[in-house]
Amino acid sequence: MNCKTLHKELIFFLEGDLPLEKREQLEAHLNECPDCAAFAADMKKTLQVTEDEKSTEVNPFFYTRVKAKLENSETQHIGIFEKVFLRKVLQPVFFSILLIIGVYSGIKIGQPTPVNVFSSTQFDQETVPYLNEMETESIETFLME
Amino acid sequence: MSEAEIIEKLKSGSEPAFKQLVENYQKLVVNTCFGMVHNKHDAEDIAQDVFIEVYRSIHKFRADAKLSTWLYRIAVNRSLNFIRDNKKRKWFQSFEDSVETKTKALQNLAATKSDHPGFQLENQQRAVLLHEAIAALPKNQKVAFTLSKYEDLSYSEIAEVMDLSVSSVESLLHRAKKNLQKKLYRCYKKKCL
Repeated sequence: MNCKTLHKELIFFLEGDLPLEKREQLEAHLNECPDCAAFAADMKKTLQVTEDEKSTEVNPFFYTRVKAKLENSETQHIGIFEKVFLRKVLQPVFFSILLIIGVYSGIKIGQPTPVNVFSSTQFDQETVPYLNEMETESIETFLME
Repeated sequence: MSEAEIIEKLKSGSEPAFKQLVENYQKLVVNTCFGMVHNKHDAEDIAQDVFIEVYRSIHKFRADAKLSTWLYRIAVNRSLNFIRDNKKRKWFQSFEDSVETKTKALQNLAATKSDHPGFQLENQQRAVLLHEAIAALPKNQKVAFTLSKYEDLSYSEIAEVMDLSVSSVESLLHRAKKNLQKKLYRCYKKKCL
């Protein structure tokens, strides 16, 4: 038995999984090798942690908490349909409408305003009639004054 | 009240039967969850959810199965879901947060075991080291190891809970122990403690 073999088998030795013959070989090596003995002691302490952690005490308020959580979740369970409906239906619909409105208004703003040629010429003809100022008042008469 | 009576009464919605069930199996469920998540508060939270699930789905329970096996299964599944969600959350956490979480884990251990006379800093570090080594194991190895170490279940009982053959469980436990030994030896060499 050498140190390398011991390192491979140590956890099984500590857990009592090895057959008697192999266990005796390991024990013999541990008595001879102080390095391996130190590692074995360290490993034993680390594995012991699970034993220390096993809970033996019972939380006296555990049942009360379970009951409170159960009642809480039942009231939440009633409103869950509304929540799902709100999240899965109303929210997407609302954001889709918002998006459509945004795109539509963007297109509308981006479009050039069409000029109504007919109505504007009509307007010009009606309101601004041709006025020949030279005929009304000639430059000579204007300067004479 | 016998197990069969509890189940029958639970199916008709009896509250005393539910109380009895929680009292009888509280330690089993909390210990199993603790073995998986290694935090007392989280383990109790998960255990509460386990009992709520049992209350809601007791009508699905088959009379030929053992109640404890069913409870172990729910506890293991819930704990694995918790670990998966926690991993997702941690992925988004910064380095600072992860350091803070580790410090909190140490403080948590100190708080829960401060009344234990032999539980000192070295033991806390050992616990953190072992928890990290167990957490790094593949899912099935972790479940088999936890049920074996924290609940002292036999190979056949673990096989029943995990729905595997006894030889598969033997192999899983063998590989789990080998992996743990590798990690612990590496740490011993680096003088982690």
